[in-house]
Amino acid sequence: MRAYSTSSEEVLFARNLLKDWAGEGFLSDEQYQRMEQETVSELRRTNIFLRLVLFFFTVVIVGAAVGLFFMAFSWNSTSQAVGPLLLIFAAVSYAAAEFAVSRGLYRYGIEEGLAAGSIALLCVGMAAILFTSHGSPKSNGTEFLIPATGVVASLWIWHRFGLFYAFLAAMLFVPWLSGCWTSSHSAQHLIVAAFYAIGLVTVAGLRSRHRFSHLNGEYSIVEALLWFGIYLTFNLQLSSVDLFRQSWGDPRSTAEFSRTFYWATWVMTWCIPSAALSRGLHRKDRFVIAVGGIIAILTLVTNKSYLGWQRHPWDPMLLGVLLIGIALFLHRWLSKGTDGIRHGFTAQRLSGKDKRWMNAASVAFGLASPHSTTVSPQTGGPEVRFGGGDSGGGGATSDF
Amino acid sequence: MNIITRLEQWKEQGVISAEQHAFLAGLSRGEPFSLFLELNILLYAGILTFVAGLGLTVSTWSQQLGDVLVLSVLSMIFGASLWYCFSRAPAWSAAEVPSPGLIFDYVLYLGSLTWSLELTYLETRLHLLSGAWDVYLLATAILFFFLAYRFDNRFVLSLALTSLAGWFGLTISHWPSHQDEAYRQYAILYSVFVVFAGAILQLRGWKTHFFGTYLNIAANVLFWALLSGVFQQDGRAVWFLGLLAACAACLAWGLPRRQFAFVAYAAVYGYVGLSSILIREIHGDTAILSYFVVTGAAMLVVLVLTARRFGREA
Repeated sequence: MRAYSTSSEEVLFARNLLKDWAGEGFLSDEQYQRMEQETVSELRRTNIFLRLVLFFFTVVIVGAAVGLFFMAFSWNSTSQAVGPLLLIFAAVSYAAAEFAVSRGLYRYGIEEGLAAGSIALLCVGMAAILFTSHGSPKSNGTEFLIPATGVVASLWIWHRFGLFYAFLAAMLFVPWLSGCWTSSHSAQHLIVAAFYAIGLVTVAGLRSRHRFSHLNGEYSIVEALLWFGIYLTFNLQLSSVDLFRQSWGDPRSTAEFSRTFYWATWVMTWCIPSAALSRGLHRKDRFVIAVGGIIAILTLVTNKSYLGWQRHPWDPMLLGVLLIGIALFLHRWLSKGTDGIRHGFTAQRLSGKDKRWMNAASVAFGLASPHSTTVSPQTGGPEVRFGGGDSGGGGATSDF
Repeated sequence: MNIITRLEQWKEQGVISAEQHAFLAGLSRGEPFSLFLELNILLYAGILTFVAGLGLTVSTWSQQLGDVLVLSVLSMIFGASLWYCFSRAPAWSAAEVPSPGLIFDYVLYLGSLTWSLELTYLETRLHLLSGAWDVYLLATAILFFFLAYRFDNRFVLSLALTSLAGWFGLTISHWPSHQDEAYRQYAILYSVFVVFAGAILQLRGWKTHFFGTYLNIAANVLFWALLSGVFQQDGRAVWFLGLLAACAACLAWGLPRRQFAFVAYAAVYGYVGLSSILIREIHGDTAILSYFVVTGAAMLVVLVLTARRFGREA
């Protein structure tokens, strides 16, 4: 079912580990070279930058080619043939992705752009068929077929090619699907959460068989996404559906939810981070730990809004002190263990990837973060409150 | 064959020792599991939220707290941060120096952000700088450059480079006319200055690992400035030539060194610039879409050849 053989992917996984260990000095050059010779893969990869650019141009070509076809044959959007033709284009795009993979492309950008294009064309094609044949799909209850197709196609692409963002796409289709089935917002939240929970249980069951294989990392990302999705669904202060609607000028108050539902979700916003963090720590799963930490912080940030308490300007300071305190306590506690290890955890760096991530983040966040933390220069009177987040590092303005 | 089995095999073949095998097999199983990255992220997020809260509190309560108290607290934080860093830092070295502790880099970052906050407060409340923000930004940039090089801190280096960019921007914001043109020219001047400064420091062997930060920031500012010139109605030919030159420079730098971020900059910025010029001369949706199909395919072929020649992952 998977486009790549297990052995090929295992070889790549081993090769990455060897490179990392050699970089950290855990292997000598001689050892690395010998071991590397035994992990030669026939799959063709490229680096992340070229991968992104190749993805971009592939999507441009697919979109332009489809548009050109319709232009050349003068089909307008109301034509009955548009939908089926888009489905044919989706099939062609998918076949091209399969062909690219058969030629050994692996995370190369091209096959990814073709696969992503096939999902988009499939959904647009479905929409075109439903709209042109029935006027409005809502009237006959078939609207759900569009997001349902999106979910199935995205899951298939994730399963077939192992692209985690295809799974994310499947998750994003689910709220749309729930909106087609019921107008009750509480029910929509519950349906979405139920879908994600089913996904979580399934993934948790599947990944136990792949603990030390190349698939472990892939399942780890998917599980983390599902935890995050469940949390966002229950946190009514952050719900993606609400944010989306508010951005379109349809502010939805949490007052529309029943008291029981509202307080049940509040309880969930405390339970889900605890569950995610304990599972992540128990399994030593980096992505799940990260998501557990993020949603725990989100719970602290949104708790006052949930309870209807007044926010204070110093709240972020307290949160900052808490985060710094937790980091320092953990570091100290771990460092005091035998060889700096306690319960299988250490604060020492063991992978070169950590350093590379931090170097990249220090440039990116160093440029971006001060815009939101330092204050902007203003030339008004003394009573003018400063703020607004326009300043750059050291108060640099956003003029550039 | 998973990695555990492979390691076992390599141990039996004598490629790795029994100790190495035990250690590497443990790492593969996540034993021990390193929380290094997570602790760093927690500290970074903690410092940012703390400074954000400090700024909010100061701006909201400055009247009630009084200038003396606010400035004393901010000065104490800044002073304590510098004292901590100077008292614990190892002797300066031109080479990359590992941080003496987990929190060291973040204390310096906290001090730098607090300094920005304090100067902003001074100007906003007391107008000590009489609106001379460009002077303040230049002084701040110099201070941050000093701190970044003294303590080998990339976070503070990024702050220094943004402060310098702010100085360039603010200086010309005082100019009465031709703002866009002036901004563009100063953005290019900024990029050239940053590249040259970085190159000189690199040649002198001072913190050579910082050079990538200089180049990435300079390249992005330069391309945005050139593209904005290409997008304008008049006199875009000169800007387009500049864009081509910048793309060529990026390719010449990035390809032999396998720094593919620069190849990506050249491909994307170059394509956008070229397309914006050509599409103005093309009329009709069919022709425009044909353009994207043909040029997109051409770019794809060139990039695949480039990836095969230079960018193949080991």
